[in-house]
Amino acid sequence: MLFNSFEFLVFFPVVTVLFFILPHRFRWQLLLAASCFFYMFFKPEYILILAFTIVVDYYAGILIESAATSKLKKRYLMISLVANIGVLAVFKYYNFINDNITGLAGLFGWTNPIPALTMLLPVGLSFHTFQAMSYTLEIARGNYRAEKHFGIYALYVMFYPQLVAGPIERPQNMIHQFHEKKEFCYTRVVDGLRLMLWGFFKKIVIADNLATYTDSVYGNLHVQTSIAIVIAVFFFAFQIYCDFSAYTDIARGAARVMGFELVKNFNYPFRSRSVTDFWRRWHMSLTTWFNDYLFTPLVIRNRDSIKWGVVFALMVTFSLSGLWHGAAWTYVVFGVMHGIAMSYEFLTKKSRKRLSKKVPAFIYNPMCQALTFLFVCFTWIFFRAGSMQDAFYVLRRIPGVFTELSNFAVTNSKPIFDGTLNRLGLIYCGMFVILLETIHYLDNKFQIFSRLRTQRALVRWSVYYLTVLVMMFFASATAHKFIYFQF
Amino acid sequence: MNQEQLLKEVNEIFKDVLDNEDVVINFDTVASDVDDWDSLNHIQLIAAIEKAFRIKFTSTEIYQFKNVGEMISSINSKLNP
Repeated sequence: MLFNSFEFLVFFPVVTVLFFILPHRFRWQLLLAASCFFYMFFKPEYILILAFTIVVDYYAGILIESAATSKLKKRYLMISLVANIGVLAVFKYYNFINDNITGLAGLFGWTNPIPALTMLLPVGLSFHTFQAMSYTLEIARGNYRAEKHFGIYALYVMFYPQLVAGPIERPQNMIHQFHEKKEFCYTRVVDGLRLMLWGFFKKIVIADNLATYTDSVYGNLHVQTSIAIVIAVFFFAFQIYCDFSAYTDIARGAARVMGFELVKNFNYPFRSRSVTDFWRRWHMSLTTWFNDYLFTPLVIRNRDSIKWGVVFALMVTFSLSGLWHGAAWTYVVFGVMHGIAMSYEFLTKKSRKRLSKKVPAFIYNPMCQALTFLFVCFTWIFFRAGSMQDAFYVLRRIPGVFTELSNFAVTNSKPIFDGTLNRLGLIYCGMFVILLETIHYLDNKFQIFSRLRTQRALVRWSVYYLTVLVMMFFASATAHKFIYFQF
Repeated sequence: MNQEQLLKEVNEIFKDVLDNEDVVINFDTVASDVDDWDSLNHIQLIAAIEKAFRIKFTSTEIYQFKNVGEMISSINSKLNP
């Protein structure tokens, strides 16, 4: 089920009302049933994948905890990891690996006899398998006790707000919340609804309108002017931020209404002054996952080769985190570019620190922020382009901007927007981006979101009505899926 | 070497690795209290401490350090078994 669908508009209030009517002891059953229903809207039979990993990880957790030797502990952990990564490998990476084998075989004039699979990618697969793995990993590290209640464990993996696109939770944060009895709390319910409203606004008004523009550019790259392409590259940054952070806000809001707190996933990523900083602010629950379970163990193992151990770990971690997004070389390139940038920042930390002391802060900081933003937009070209060819085509077209601009200044006649694009749509998109950044600026400076809470009813309700009104007027004509659903 | 002296020495290592002369740590200090003490630098600190005291932590020990104090007691137990 999509959050931005009419089904959800019915589903959410029904589930929430039932949740508060039912006595505590039945609530986990309601949430589990609701979560199954939510998931089965996409492709019902795929629930079996979830059932498989839930059963394996539930028993693996208990066995890891009670294992007498550390060798045995490791063995049970391996079973859990192999099951989860195996599911990912089959459903997400099989065709990618197979295609590459075919390509490689072709180089030697051989044919690859292994057939390709035709199946849809299960929604949110990378999210819930990662969340499930963090459960057995935490037990193996002795940080968490295995959950004995099968239903509660299943709910930890399946909790509908964050099942298909995160935030990727940890057992320490979530499982105890399912055991606690949640009371109805008016201010918390309003708080959650407000967060959902802001999420819907970002999705329906900003992300989906920008998507209409970027989709038509990336979909017909060859007929577009360079200016249109460059604008699409920048718009995509705001689109993906609004799309993904909207999902997180709606998920956190929906959970909060019922009394559950999910982890924060975004912290103004476009304010980052370095790529390292960016990954602390963007999709934080994924970054911390990779940090705790891949990067840190790798660095610990190679800690004697001090600097190169860290560089090696950064490259491995970011290549894999690129691949986490999707089974395509474009995502790997995206990850590798970030790995290179992080390594560069790591190796030049001291000299950059010295530089920052020489250059006045009012120049240095905005410059770092701009460079980081440009770099991230650049890497997102690979993220968004359908193929490596498309990505390189975009890169080749970028310098054309200057010729087009000078021609435009001289003749004032060459149309910038060909084909399906129109000026009005572009102006709206630009306005939405400015609106978003203005709201971010105001919140950062004056905490407008938390201050809204304490305003008089008239002020609060005016803001809500205005938001809904803008949503009704400017809602994108086409509802788009959330980008991160495919991961 | 007692715990106080150890703390002093470890503080020097922190200054050196983090490239910041103003770093002051005590037994209760945690990563979030110190600028630049992040996951990138954390293992650098550990490696520098291991080198300086000629000791070796196990990876389980490294995961379980909750603050500077626990790190110091671990160093102490390795130096004075």
